[in-house]
Amino acid sequence: MPARDATYFNTEIETMARADLEALQLERLLEVIPIAYERAPLIREAWDAAKVHPRDIRTLDDFRERVPFIDKDAVRRFRDERGDPYGGLLCVDPADLTGVGSTSGTTGDPTLVPEQWGGPLREPSIITRDLWGWGVRPGDFVMLVLFTFRGPTYGLFQHSLQTTPILFDFDPAEMERFCELSRQYRPTAVYNFGSVLINAVKDVCDRRGFDPRDVFSSYVGVTFAGEPLSPRARALAESWGVELYEHGNVGDVTGSFECVAHDGLHAWEDTVLVEGIEEDVDGRRELVATALNNHTSPLIRFRSDDIVRLSTDTCACGRTHVRMWPVGRKSDEVLVDGLSVLPLDVWGAVESVDACAMGLFQIIRTARDVDRLRLRVGYASDWSSKLDGVRDGVRAAVLDATGTEPDVELVPNDALLRLGPPHKIPRVSKS
Amino acid sequence: MTAPPAKPLWAVGSYADEHGRPEPWEISHDEINRDIGVATQVLTELGVAGGRVLWCSMLSQAGQHWPYVCGTVLAGAKLSCADSTYGEALRVSMFLRLMDYDAVFGVTPALLDGLDASGRAPADVFGGVRIVGAHPGAYERLVAAGLTPWRVALCGPAIAIGRAPGGPAYVPEGEWELADLGATIGITARQPRATTFIRTPIAVRGTIADGGVVPDRVAPSA
Repeated sequence: MPARDATYFNTEIETMARADLEALQLERLLEVIPIAYERAPLIREAWDAAKVHPRDIRTLDDFRERVPFIDKDAVRRFRDERGDPYGGLLCVDPADLTGVGSTSGTTGDPTLVPEQWGGPLREPSIITRDLWGWGVRPGDFVMLVLFTFRGPTYGLFQHSLQTTPILFDFDPAEMERFCELSRQYRPTAVYNFGSVLINAVKDVCDRRGFDPRDVFSSYVGVTFAGEPLSPRARALAESWGVELYEHGNVGDVTGSFECVAHDGLHAWEDTVLVEGIEEDVDGRRELVATALNNHTSPLIRFRSDDIVRLSTDTCACGRTHVRMWPVGRKSDEVLVDGLSVLPLDVWGAVESVDACAMGLFQIIRTARDVDRLRLRVGYASDWSSKLDGVRDGVRAAVLDATGTEPDVELVPNDALLRLGPPHKIPRVSKS
Repeated sequence: MTAPPAKPLWAVGSYADEHGRPEPWEISHDEINRDIGVATQVLTELGVAGGRVLWCSMLSQAGQHWPYVCGTVLAGAKLSCADSTYGEALRVSMFLRLMDYDAVFGVTPALLDGLDASGRAPADVFGGVRIVGAHPGAYERLVAAGLTPWRVALCGPAIAIGRAPGGPAYVPEGEWELADLGATIGITARQPRATTFIRTPIAVRGTIADGGVVPDRVAPSA
C-alpha cells in the first residue's frame, strides 16, 4: 500500500514513459497471443483465415497491421453454431475454471466470461488506481451501488483499497437509504451512479428535507457509468457540489475512468492494448481492445462497436496511459431520412418534459435506415391522466433538438427500469 | 453474543426488519471470514463440488450471500451470479441454456415474472437442475409448475437453505438461532458480531420446525 499522501497508487506504472509502457505491452502481448492461438478455437480460425501466426508478430506494429479482428457477433455465432458456451475463446480446461460470469447484455444476449478467481494477482489496476487518484484511502467508507453479475470482483474494495463498502442495489428505491447512510457514515466515493439515481436522490431530498449538498459533503468522487449522464442529472449533481467521474467499458476487456483532470477516461495500458480504427474526419474511431493479462479467455483485437476519440498524450494528471472520450455506439445510430440520430441527441429533449424527467427512453430501431424516428418514453406515474400533453411535449422537444418529429409511445417509468441490467437500460430496442 | 466492532468493517450490509424495511448491518472481517467457512461446509454437505452453482441475489444482500459466493468456489464448484430481478431473467435463462447447473439458489417471484414475460417456462429453464432453491412466493410457483424446489429464505442477516426438497430451510446452527416470537420470527447471533442480534424480529413469516423455518405460503399476486 502506498503512503497515504501519495498521488498515485502505483507511480512507476501510472506515469511510465510511453516507450517503456509499449515495451511492457509488447512483452505481455507476446505472452498472451500464443496461448490464444493455440487454445482458443475462434482466435485460431480467425488467424488461420488471415494467414497469420504468432511467430509473425514481433512488434506492436506487426500486431496492428496483421492480426484479424473479432467482435461480439463472431463470439455469439461461434457459440451458437459450435455449441461452445465460451464462444471459442476459452484457453483452459473448463474443469480448471472457478466460475463463469457474463457481460452486461445491453446489446442483446449476454456472453459468458470464464473466470479463474483466486489465482496470482498482478498489481492492482482498475478501480484501485482510479479511486486512489481521486483521494479515496484505506479506512474510508465507499458506497457500492451495483449489480452482482460480475461475481465476487467487488471484493477488491475491501482488499486492494482496504475500504469498507456500504452495499446498495442499483435501484431508485434505495436512494432514501443512500441519503441516510451518507449522512451517518460520511463516505468518500460512490461506485456507481447514473441519471436515474441522481433524480431519485433529488426526490428523496425534496421529500425528507435533506440538503443534497450535505448528503454529498464528504465525497471526493462519484462515479457514473453504464451510459452517459443526462444533461439534467449532471446539472443537478454539479449544483450539489458533486465531483463526477465518468467510467466506461473498454471493449469487454476492462474499464476506464476519468481522473482528477477530467479530460478523458484513462484505460490502464499495462492490462489492455487499445486501438482506434476507421477514423473519421472528426477524429472519431471505433475502439478495439486486446487483453494483456488474461490467459483464461483473452479477447484479441476485439471490435467494441464503441465510437471514441483517443489520445496518448500525457494527461494533466501526470499519467501516461491512453485517454478516451466516448461518443456513442455504432449500433445505436439510426438514420431518419439520412439524418443521424443517437440516444444522446434526444436525451436532453426527453428529460426536459417534466413528466419524463428521469430521462428513460428507447429508440425503436427496426433498421439503421428508417423513415420516421420512433421513441418509447417513460413517464412518472402521477402524470398518467395527462398523457396527451406529455406526448405532445416530447414530440415538440425532440423535433427541436434533432430536426425530426418522432412517433412517441409512452410507458410508465417502471416498465423501462425493469429492463435494465440494471445500471443502464437498453437505449435502443428492435421492437 | 456481541462484541464491539473492529475497524475497519468488511462492509455495511442490510437486512429486512419485521416490517420488511432495510436496516443497516455492520459486518466485521472476522465474522465474514467465519461465515465463509460455514457456507463452504453447508455447500459441501449439499454435494455441489464439481458442479456449477448459480446464485441469484442483490448487492444489498451481499452480507448474507458473499459467504456462499466464496464458499461455492471453496467447495469446489463453479460459480455464476445474477441479480434476482425481473430484468435478469434473460441472464439466468442464458446461463441455464448454455451450461448444465447442479444448483440455482435464490429464485424470486420477480425472476419468474421475467421468465414468464419472455415466454420461458420455469419447468424448461430449471428442469435439469438438481437443487432449485427458491424464496417464498417463487417456491409455490415452482411447485405449481411441477418442479421440486428447495426452500431458501432470507432470515434477516442470515440465509436459510433447505437440506432436501420440500423441507424446512436452515440457518447455520453454530452461528444463528431462530425463535418464534408469536407474530414474527426472531434471530439471535451465537457468535461475536459487529451488530447485535438478540431475538431481533425479521421479515420472514413462517413456522419454526426442527430448528429450521418453513415460510408461510405466499399466494401468487394477481
